[in-house]
Amino acid sequence: MSMLRFGLRNLFRNVTRLVVVALLVAFPFLLLLVMQAVGSAVERQTDILQQNVNNTLQLRARGSMGHVNMVGNEDILPQEAVEKAKGLEHVAKVEPYLLAMTPTEGHNFAMVVGVHPGDTRRLESHGEAGNPKIIAGRDLTEADRGHRVAIIGQGFAKWAGITPEHLDQATLTLDLTRTHPVIFALPRPPATLTIVGIYASGYVFGDMQLFMPLDTFRDMYGVPKGISWLFVRADTADHVPQVEQKLRTLLGEAADIIAPTNVAEFQHTTTRAVLRLAQGGIVLSAALMVIVVFFVMLLVVRERAWEIGTFKALGASNGGIVVSFLTEALALCAVGALLSMLLFSIWGGHLMQKAFGLGVAPFLPAEYKDTLINALTLAPDISPDTFGLLVVVCIAAALAGSAWGMRQIVRLSPMEAIRHE
Amino acid sequence: MNNPVVVNGDKALITLREVSKMYRKGQESVRALEAIDLTVPEKGMVAIVGPSGSGKSSLLHLIGAMDRPTTGDVIVAGQSLNALPEASLTTFRRKTVGFIFQSFNLIPNLSALENVMLPMEFNGVPSPERHRRARQLLDRVGLAGRLSHRPRELSGGEQQRVAIARASANNPPLILADEPTGNLDSKTGQMIYELLKDIARERTVIVVTHAEALAQMAERIVHMSDGKLVTAEHPAEPSRNTSEQTRRTDDA
Repeated sequence: MSMLRFGLRNLFRNVTRLVVVALLVAFPFLLLLVMQAVGSAVERQTDILQQNVNNTLQLRARGSMGHVNMVGNEDILPQEAVEKAKGLEHVAKVEPYLLAMTPTEGHNFAMVVGVHPGDTRRLESHGEAGNPKIIAGRDLTEADRGHRVAIIGQGFAKWAGITPEHLDQATLTLDLTRTHPVIFALPRPPATLTIVGIYASGYVFGDMQLFMPLDTFRDMYGVPKGISWLFVRADTADHVPQVEQKLRTLLGEAADIIAPTNVAEFQHTTTRAVLRLAQGGIVLSAALMVIVVFFVMLLVVRERAWEIGTFKALGASNGGIVVSFLTEALALCAVGALLSMLLFSIWGGHLMQKAFGLGVAPFLPAEYKDTLINALTLAPDISPDTFGLLVVVCIAAALAGSAWGMRQIVRLSPMEAIRHE
Repeated sequence: MNNPVVVNGDKALITLREVSKMYRKGQESVRALEAIDLTVPEKGMVAIVGPSGSGKSSLLHLIGAMDRPTTGDVIVAGQSLNALPEASLTTFRRKTVGFIFQSFNLIPNLSALENVMLPMEFNGVPSPERHRRARQLLDRVGLAGRLSHRPRELSGGEQQRVAIARASANNPPLILADEPTGNLDSKTGQMIYELLKDIARERTVIVVTHAEALAQMAERIVHMSDGKLVTAEHPAEPSRNTSEQTRRTDDA
């Protein structure tokens, strides 16, 4: 029997101890897998966020809020701004908006927004809270383009007497001639809209808004050209400054450009925090494994000192004995790693949620925490990279943890065989 | 120098010259062996007897290259062990010596057969040859039917017989047995001694023992006291402490 095989067989000398030690080794491995998986999930999600949420620039007519009937803020962007923005490199999407205000007793006014169906429905004053949730009826669709249909916030709906139960008959007539200290009258006929859906935003003013197709807005308010707001989304957060610079060059005379100033900060905070946490977790788990292996091997060497002495008395070389004990340490780590993979596949998702909540979320800006934690795909998958990392850590922990024990083995005298007596 | 003794024989396998061994015990130095001169011939059984602490085991360890003397020369099978580096001592133990321990020292998770094959594995003997020879040796000690048994499944006497087979595995010229019957009843002890005596027809067997009666089975007996060799005697002539087989070589 080779010393390698002997080392492997030693693993099963005491099954109870094997189970206990395997669990002890599996715990840090599990921590490693969880941290690695959380790190990967957050990195993936950060990429998605950078592409979809926080890499968007907002353009408005220079010095104006861009609302078509707001006193002193009625200037809007020229229509050509849309085409110019679309033509820029690294621009992923351009979303034009038209906005108007309508007086509503008790709330001062409500907001009327025209967007292309399918574009992000950003609430006025709460731009980051896009796509409020439809709680009754349906969203706008491509088929609604040019039709007098709208979805309405739950506050506005309540004000208008529209309930989810009677949505199939709901209409709302907007009187464009009505005024308010900040709203001027538009000489346009009243327009009746069929309300096809009610949304909830979670904000009082967010719920006092109404979305209709952009073409419908143009027709109702008599705005054949121009845009109140233009949202220009860069393909990645890294390209935001480049796109912003080009927009300023092209449209700087006509537009105020509002850049997402916290993109870089967000990117750095999140990614660095997650990477640090994942790396810290890996280092911690490796250290824990080394400690476990260290004590186990120390115990094993002490317990089997007489056996090592006997081997030496029988003519075994130090190298051969070290190989057998190293094999045992490696096999022990491998059993722990396999056990951790099994545990990870069972409880990985739950553990990742916990680890994320405890570890990662505090590093995130508050406004992204809930969005991110719910959006993360925390599936307990083990990628080839993670498996490779597991193998490397397994070998490193076995070698580092056994080093002291191996030193003891080399120093042990064959006389230890007699001390057994 | 006190009572240096040479056990004569036809041809010397072991020669000890002026061998002393000191151990440190805390702040104190303990003299385990003092100026030992000893020659042991090839083949035959030599018993080393003496009270506890007389240096019997220390002497055995020096002869078996498990320890080094503080002063003096230990020459076994023509090799001066003092001069050998650690790796060569390992090779020496592997090829020249077979050890039998009081507590048998069988590896618990190996079968009797695997325990006997172990020294041959260290010696690079090919697997089929290891199997063949291990079976043969176990058969010789009467354990042909216990090949796959683990040590815990064997009686004390059976374990010691496996240990004897293991000690003979590499066919060494020297077998050292440290209290081989210490953990056995007298009947089993007698049987083990007979086995050792049988082996001693082909090689040198040195046995350290407290059991005077069993020592009488050896061809030669070496008495030790306080780290010194006192006498060597032929059991057939127990009264002749200075017989022709025991010769004082130096009174200085």
